[in-house]
Amino acid sequence: MKVSLNWLNQYFDQNIDKDVLVKKFNLMSQEVAGLNKLIDIDGLVIGHVKSLKKHEDADKLSVCLVDVGDEELQIICGAPNVAADQKVIVAKVGVVLSGNFRLKKAKIRGVESNGMICSLAELGIQEFDNEEKGIYVLGFDAIPGEDPIKYLHLDDYVLDLDLTANRSDLLSIRGVAYDTACMMNLNLDLAEPRVTRETSENPVSIFTQTKNSTVYYGQTLENVEIKDSPYWLKSRLLACGIRPINNVVDITNYVMLEYGQPLHAFDYDKIQSDRIIVREALENETILTLDGEKRKLVAGDIVITDGKKPIALAGVMGGLETEIDDSTKRILLESAIFNPVKIRKTASRLNLKSESSSRFEKGVDPYQTLEALNYACELLAEYANAIVVGLPSYYNTVKIKNKIINLSLEKLNSVTGYSYSEEIVEDILKRLRFKFKLKGDNFKVSIPSRRPMESYQDLIEEIVRIHGYDKIPLTIPITPTQGGLNRKQKTKRAIRNYFVGRGFTETKTYSLASQEAAIKFDQSTTKAIRIMNPLTKEREYLRHSLLPSLLNVLVYNKSRKIENIMIFELANAYFEDNEIEKLAILMHGKLDFSTWQKQDQSVDFYHLKGLLETLLKQLKVPDYIISVSPKELPNLHPGISAILSVKGKVIGFLGKLHPEEEHEIGIKDVYVCELSLNELLNLSDENTHLYQEITKYPSIKRDIAVLVKNDITAEDIISSINKTSKKILNSIDIFDVYFDKTLSNKKSIALTLEFLSSNRTLETKEVDNQIDKILENLKLDLNAELRS
Amino acid sequence: MEQKLKKITSLATEAIKNCKTINELLDIKAMYLGKKSEFNDLMQDLKNLSSDQKPLFGKIINEAKQEISALIDEQKQIIDSQKINDLLKSQTIDISLPGKNLALGHKHILTKTIEEIEDVFVGLGYEIKEGPEIETDLYNFEMLNLPKDHPAREMQDSFYITEDLLLRTHTSPVQVRSLLENAAQKPLKIICPGVVYRKDDDDLTHSHQFMQIEALVVDEKATLADLKGTLLLVAKKLFGENREIRLRPSYFPFTEPSVEVDVSCFKCNGSGCPMCKNTGWIEILGAGMVNNNVLKAAGYDPMKFQGFALGMGIERVAMLKHGIEDIRLLYTNDLRFNSQF
Repeated sequence: MKVSLNWLNQYFDQNIDKDVLVKKFNLMSQEVAGLNKLIDIDGLVIGHVKSLKKHEDADKLSVCLVDVGDEELQIICGAPNVAADQKVIVAKVGVVLSGNFRLKKAKIRGVESNGMICSLAELGIQEFDNEEKGIYVLGFDAIPGEDPIKYLHLDDYVLDLDLTANRSDLLSIRGVAYDTACMMNLNLDLAEPRVTRETSENPVSIFTQTKNSTVYYGQTLENVEIKDSPYWLKSRLLACGIRPINNVVDITNYVMLEYGQPLHAFDYDKIQSDRIIVREALENETILTLDGEKRKLVAGDIVITDGKKPIALAGVMGGLETEIDDSTKRILLESAIFNPVKIRKTASRLNLKSESSSRFEKGVDPYQTLEALNYACELLAEYANAIVVGLPSYYNTVKIKNKIINLSLEKLNSVTGYSYSEEIVEDILKRLRFKFKLKGDNFKVSIPSRRPMESYQDLIEEIVRIHGYDKIPLTIPITPTQGGLNRKQKTKRAIRNYFVGRGFTETKTYSLASQEAAIKFDQSTTKAIRIMNPLTKEREYLRHSLLPSLLNVLVYNKSRKIENIMIFELANAYFEDNEIEKLAILMHGKLDFSTWQKQDQSVDFYHLKGLLETLLKQLKVPDYIISVSPKELPNLHPGISAILSVKGKVIGFLGKLHPEEEHEIGIKDVYVCELSLNELLNLSDENTHLYQEITKYPSIKRDIAVLVKNDITAEDIISSINKTSKKILNSIDIFDVYFDKTLSNKKSIALTLEFLSSNRTLETKEVDNQIDKILENLKLDLNAELRS
Repeated sequence: MEQKLKKITSLATEAIKNCKTINELLDIKAMYLGKKSEFNDLMQDLKNLSSDQKPLFGKIINEAKQEISALIDEQKQIIDSQKINDLLKSQTIDISLPGKNLALGHKHILTKTIEEIEDVFVGLGYEIKEGPEIETDLYNFEMLNLPKDHPAREMQDSFYITEDLLLRTHTSPVQVRSLLENAAQKPLKIICPGVVYRKDDDDLTHSHQFMQIEALVVDEKATLADLKGTLLLVAKKLFGENREIRLRPSYFPFTEPSVEVDVSCFKCNGSGCPMCKNTGWIEILGAGMVNNNVLKAAGYDPMKFQGFALGMGIERVAMLKHGIEDIRLLYTNDLRFNSQF
């Protein structure tokens, strides 16, 4: 809301200190977005164009001799409307115009120019009227040498308030005046409008056929003379951000700004009946609005009709057919209340937000409809020679009832933690101009309709803000509670710490993705969830997997010459029945490298597998199995990928990106992994983990190497060994895998077997026997031979 | 004989002192003290002496032998330590070459900021609560005093999935869920961090996806003063011990009264700078006393219970603290950015 300070000052017997006003608003009411001079140009003067001749070398330029009071200046002017004997606005050499442009003495095609004759646009404001004529011409009464800004009543400041949704009362100068008076503890001068009415009867009758309009006053006025508004009125509209049009339209806007009650003026002679009927629009009904657009209406829009067809879109925009124009003689002035929700829906559907609709949307005080209308009548009589014809026709279904809110001092103090006295509260309620009765420690407050309130909480807010938030003491809740992270939250932190410790960098990517990316890497058969109103196709679906986002991060960084990319993310994936927290990992390049020592090693599947296994060990996830997937994993290399299962349940996958995928992004050797964190957290049994006794007996280690066919896996060998030697075999470690042409389709696998007993020292012979048995079974199970 | 002994001793001393290796030293030892050494010859010569001279010369020879033996031991030590010194010298490396590049990982700055804020509140006895990002209209709006036609819904343009399902626009629905969960209506002190969404085009200061953290206290006596004290404590923990706070009236449908909270500028200490737009204050969060309608919707009797809530954008806190001017940097994952934290 933009507020003219001249206008606001009219309510007080003194001019308000601007700096204090800004401070008070910021700390007690609404944030001040700015307080600026309406026209921030110094040194302008009124000039009298004494004489004028065409520039010899330029047809469109005039050489003017201008009397500026204390001197006569030769000024070149390019405006087509400049003429001799005009009173004009002159910027002399040295004046800084809007846009920080300092005027200099100039020679234009050989002729000296000592200043500039200005348009209003050159002063940084909108023009006062519609026509783009060029320079702005002042009235004949303007005196050369004097300040044109004062003459035009533009010597004003604009207070720009950022309003919150609960303070629609501040959408009017009166509302701002009420709050100002309260905050600054000033008297408020509220004058009632004075209207002189002709005794003849108002010819219009008003009806409604919808509950969505509770109040409608219609007043006819005759003998209207359409002309420009006076300067003071125009400049106040400009200060509040509304462009002046003509006296009738300006007055409706002026009253709307003052009262917050939008008004509308129809050209009464263009209405084809004496009956105004307010109703809901019919489906597909149309109206030509003031902006010349043909609007298609829907049921639910509210329209003002002449009994047959719509003549205005209620609260949103008038109809072109009944528009005020220069020849208008009789007008019908409307002051009404419409359902805020309906107005909002219509305005947003038609993209027709206006000063009027935005006020109706937020709720207009229904008890000043008539007063606003009367004030407009007073102004029209004075500035448009209008004759007010009789009393307004109307309907009004609003029952007068002031809301009563009870607030006890005890409640106030127990909510705020401050000790307000009766005197403080009384003083503030008086300043708010709320009527109240005090009984015991209870304030029974009558809430005026201009300040809609719901409960005592609203009243507490009023008292606290006016008394000052800075007075509230600083304490801490005394109720003892036990805080902390739950197991899941702790585990998530542990996972992040684990990866960071391993050299991985955490990413944060968007949940919304394109349809294609949302289901990439996805093994589920459900569809990705779609957003009804997406911003772009790229952000239309909720992702099933985080990996496409991590691949984007890879491509982004790789194209910026970052070679080693080890990243992870913890985030949700979204499915029709639930949201799953996932952990995604991507590895590419080298981890722990040392260039000059030539010990760098590119990451491979086993890095990823090891990383994952160590994490599972840290999280105490029991009995996990990393195995070949029974079906091909989407977008992964079928020979270099695996699934992770725990207790028979698949909870994730890992592997190398499919060569086709790698080709597509132009990056080779990319390893990825994705797990369901929900499952992982459920399975981890950290809390039930029991300590195992450390044996005091020595272990015996034996190395063996076996030759097996190429398709025998390490897992096959290990399970055969495990099956054979259960009791005393403590660990198996594969320390070499060797392929060679000479081995003809076979490979050699070398293992260290460690034997240990928890209750005795093992004998060599016993271990030898075990080794024999193991080899025997390896031969039987896998046709493995001892390599000598 | 004495002459001979002197000569041998002096020769031996000379040889030992010039000796450089252990092997040489052993040879010298054999030569002078071994069975076929000249000392041995001298010992043989003793037999030819008279019995009164024997002890005298025997003593002299033994003394000479001991002298030589000591010299050998001494030289051995010299040779040994020389050997160790040579070895150490040969093993000396260029310690100025770069150390091995053990990869260093980084938590995301948003994670770090959340954990920092969580730790402050956990220290004050708050529990951490989380909830789904796909929410119902009921939890995201209606139970938070934002009925269907409430104008404030426009403040939060939302991504809808169905008429009744949307991506949550704030973490407040977690508060609703926590209130409902707390069937025994015990005092509740929680914080709710999480991802939220608004239908905004991404630019310098807007992101369609961002993170929030909210705190909620509901009991029989939590006051506005408690809120203010809590806010000051949090501001000090996050932005430094010397911070002050300022409350200004604001509006949120779920709190009444509602306030915006400013913290004194941590760059200029309140004297005014570009960071605080010369006001000395920086807006960091919104807060207020829980609106009775929210308590009622969750089954709490507002005549018995009251409380406060506060909420802040994690991005804003992180950006303010680290001087980040473009919110999109937080979601671009340029590793040159992510690895700075």
